[in-house]
Amino acid sequence: MSNFAIMADGTCDLTKELAEKYGIIIVPGHLVFPGNNEMRAFLDWNTVPRDEFYADLKKRPDEYSTSPANVEEFAEAMEGPASEGKDIVLMTISSSMSGAYNFALQAKNVITAKYNVKITVIDSMRFGPGFGLMAIHASLQRDRGKSVEEVAAWVEENKNRFHQAGWLDDLSFVAKKGRLTHAKAFFGALAGVKPIGEFDYNGMTTVIGKAKGAKKAYAALLSYIEGTIEDPQDQVIFIAQTNRLPQAEEYKKLIEERLHPKAVYIKDVYPSCGINVGPGLMAAYYVGKPISKDLSFEKELLNKYLEAKE
Amino acid sequence: MSTMKINGQQLESMLKNGLNNLLCHREEVNKLNVFPVADGDTGTNMSLTLGHGLSSAPSKFEAGPYLKSVSDGMLLGARGNSGVILSQLFKGLYLELARCGWISPAQLRNALIRSYKTAYASVIHPVEGTILTVAREGIEHIRFQLTRQTAMEEFLSMYVAEMRKSLSFTPELLPVLKESGVIDSGAYGYILIFEGMLDKLYGKEHKAETEEAAAAVIGPVAPEPADLHLFNENSVFEEGYCMEFILQLLKNENYTQRFVLRQYIDDLKLYGKSLVVVQDGRRVKVHIHTFKPAKVITLSQEFGEFLTFKLENMQLQHNEVLQGAAEPSGHKELSVIAAVNGDGMEKTFRDLGCDVVINCAETLNASTEDFIRALGKVSADKIVILPNNKNVVMAADQAIRLSEVKNAEVLPTKSPAEGYFALAMDIQDSADTDLRVKQMRNGMKSTVTLTESVATKDYKNGGISCKAGEEIVLLNGRLVAASTDWCDCIISGLKAVDGIEDVESCVIFRGDGVPDEHEAILGERLSEAFPLLEVTFVYGGQSVYRFMIGISE
Repeated sequence: MSNFAIMADGTCDLTKELAEKYGIIIVPGHLVFPGNNEMRAFLDWNTVPRDEFYADLKKRPDEYSTSPANVEEFAEAMEGPASEGKDIVLMTISSSMSGAYNFALQAKNVITAKYNVKITVIDSMRFGPGFGLMAIHASLQRDRGKSVEEVAAWVEENKNRFHQAGWLDDLSFVAKKGRLTHAKAFFGALAGVKPIGEFDYNGMTTVIGKAKGAKKAYAALLSYIEGTIEDPQDQVIFIAQTNRLPQAEEYKKLIEERLHPKAVYIKDVYPSCGINVGPGLMAAYYVGKPISKDLSFEKELLNKYLEAKE
Repeated sequence: MSTMKINGQQLESMLKNGLNNLLCHREEVNKLNVFPVADGDTGTNMSLTLGHGLSSAPSKFEAGPYLKSVSDGMLLGARGNSGVILSQLFKGLYLELARCGWISPAQLRNALIRSYKTAYASVIHPVEGTILTVAREGIEHIRFQLTRQTAMEEFLSMYVAEMRKSLSFTPELLPVLKESGVIDSGAYGYILIFEGMLDKLYGKEHKAETEEAAAAVIGPVAPEPADLHLFNENSVFEEGYCMEFILQLLKNENYTQRFVLRQYIDDLKLYGKSLVVVQDGRRVKVHIHTFKPAKVITLSQEFGEFLTFKLENMQLQHNEVLQGAAEPSGHKELSVIAAVNGDGMEKTFRDLGCDVVINCAETLNASTEDFIRALGKVSADKIVILPNNKNVVMAADQAIRLSEVKNAEVLPTKSPAEGYFALAMDIQDSADTDLRVKQMRNGMKSTVTLTESVATKDYKNGGISCKAGEEIVLLNGRLVAASTDWCDCIISGLKAVDGIEDVESCVIFRGDGVPDEHEAILGERLSEAFPLLEVTFVYGGQSVYRFMIGISE
């Protein structure tokens, strides 16, 4: 059994089962629901059913908000393994989207002053299931007997290989919350046009192309994944969806047929991320070629497929 | 009574009578519409164009210079296709007559020949059976009948009579006219102008009937007065002034005689931005945004004096804008200017990143001047213009030529629905301008526009007919469905779109006064009939069309 802990903040969207299976300790953040109901974040739909949550979120987005775990809460969570003398690798949501990374760093100082353990805090540069996939990969590295230093180094070195290939077709929401992309609020309703987003070098998502309609988007996305993924047969691919289940199921089928990965799981996006993403996300997450600094390679590749005649 | 030549003042009174004659028949011209939709505006566009020319031209004794100011004003104020062609016809007239103090019938004949040639040259694909044909045949058929004894009255009578004859043949040349049982509206409007001019020579004056019509003679609608409270002792002055003037270069020794346009422009650049300078002989039209109006005035007065002058506090405008929607600020890589037909469309286009939105809810078509003004508002490496109608493409092109903007391009969107898809496909946060323009082009491409409205008359075309008062759907301007039920009508209209079963992208603009429950009703019907279609409803606020539907592949 491993002698160090892997931890991730609650925006990694790993359910209790997955977290237990891969031995990942989750540090949940906070949610504010309508009526100023503040609560610790959850990674299930026991408090509110998924569809009900997204429907209400769409109606009154301004009454929902999120905040990361504070320094004390990160410290409290770290104290568990630290008190047992275990080193820690703790991964946080992209620092471009949230303050969690800084809070975790401060918590690390609190804990290392108290316990003689090594704590590495890593900015995942990702969010949601993309981030969760990265935490699982860290756990798999640990299973292979890698040391805490080796696992931390592996994540740092490889985090830029975690791709997102999918669309977010309700950008009005993202624009309002201002978390996910650089773009200012100039997105209206899009009438079936699918903006396709990939992670960029700053740990945000950037629109690298647009497709008219889902069919064209699927076709281009599958080719795009094929052009960027490495060893698909050995991979587990996550598909995240917020209120886009039928499309996600179609996408899963198409990915399985074309790429034959080990498995494709459709993952929910829980409120910690969901509140900032809004309905309309439908994207696959996988490990592939390192993402180029200005996304020029990715843009060119995707647009080549977007322009191709079916 | 016979007039052997006319001067600038006579020409002015003739043209005014011509305009009044057109205004008296404006509605009649508007109704000469090919389609059974109440969007005919040829009469309005032509009268606004000529009205703008006349109101911006000061009276002059010499005919040539007077005609030149009229022509300049018309180029700027041109509205719609017919307006642009009319302005080109007048440009040809002044080009020929520029040096004439008095105009003789023979000179007018030559000018009318040059006039139609200029107009033909300005149109990329001249269509016969229109104003162009009538202007050409009207003069070509009588050019050899003119003798030294022919008086102006006689000459113009022949010209008008020939044009009338030509007009009656327009349905033979242009099938759409024949099918609709109408003559060409632009050609008719043109004849009305010359008829009015002729009537003036015979002493028959036309009076424009309504107040609204009179307003068209006075000129373009004055902008709404600014709310002066928006600039007060606590305001910060960051926007400068918008200056517009026409400078008359003067010959007397008090002024520097060597006026070099290039040098003048370079000097003006030191004092401001959004500079547009157009020289026309000894007159210079200037538009500039500046913090130092005094410097601009001093510089300009070295060469001459101001004919007209306008100075506006842009901070005031800016503050007004802040209260409303945002106007562009600062230099951008790519700016987009679009014309739309309603307040809802205006808002949507702004949300989609459009920098200047020209809302022509009232007139349907944006004018050349609207586009020139919009071009003055943006500062960008590349400017894209999205017209809202195929009749507006020429006005936009003309605006680019007149304002001498090098980096502007018109994407010929033929409806706000096409403009919408151009913007929806744009990747606004990309730094790659070429890619963005390509995306917009791609958005516009393979987009079709359907409009639903109420038929204004009985109509028959290609096996489909409708009765006045029925709901009808036009597909890219062609009647494809008619029904007593609006929802049925839209569904069968959509079925006329090639490959509709596979189309996924659809935007629907709801018109002014259409209840919003109609969106849900239509939405449900659409998802039954076309399950793949992803429909976005947007309040458009347009008049005439209850719904405007964009379908994009």
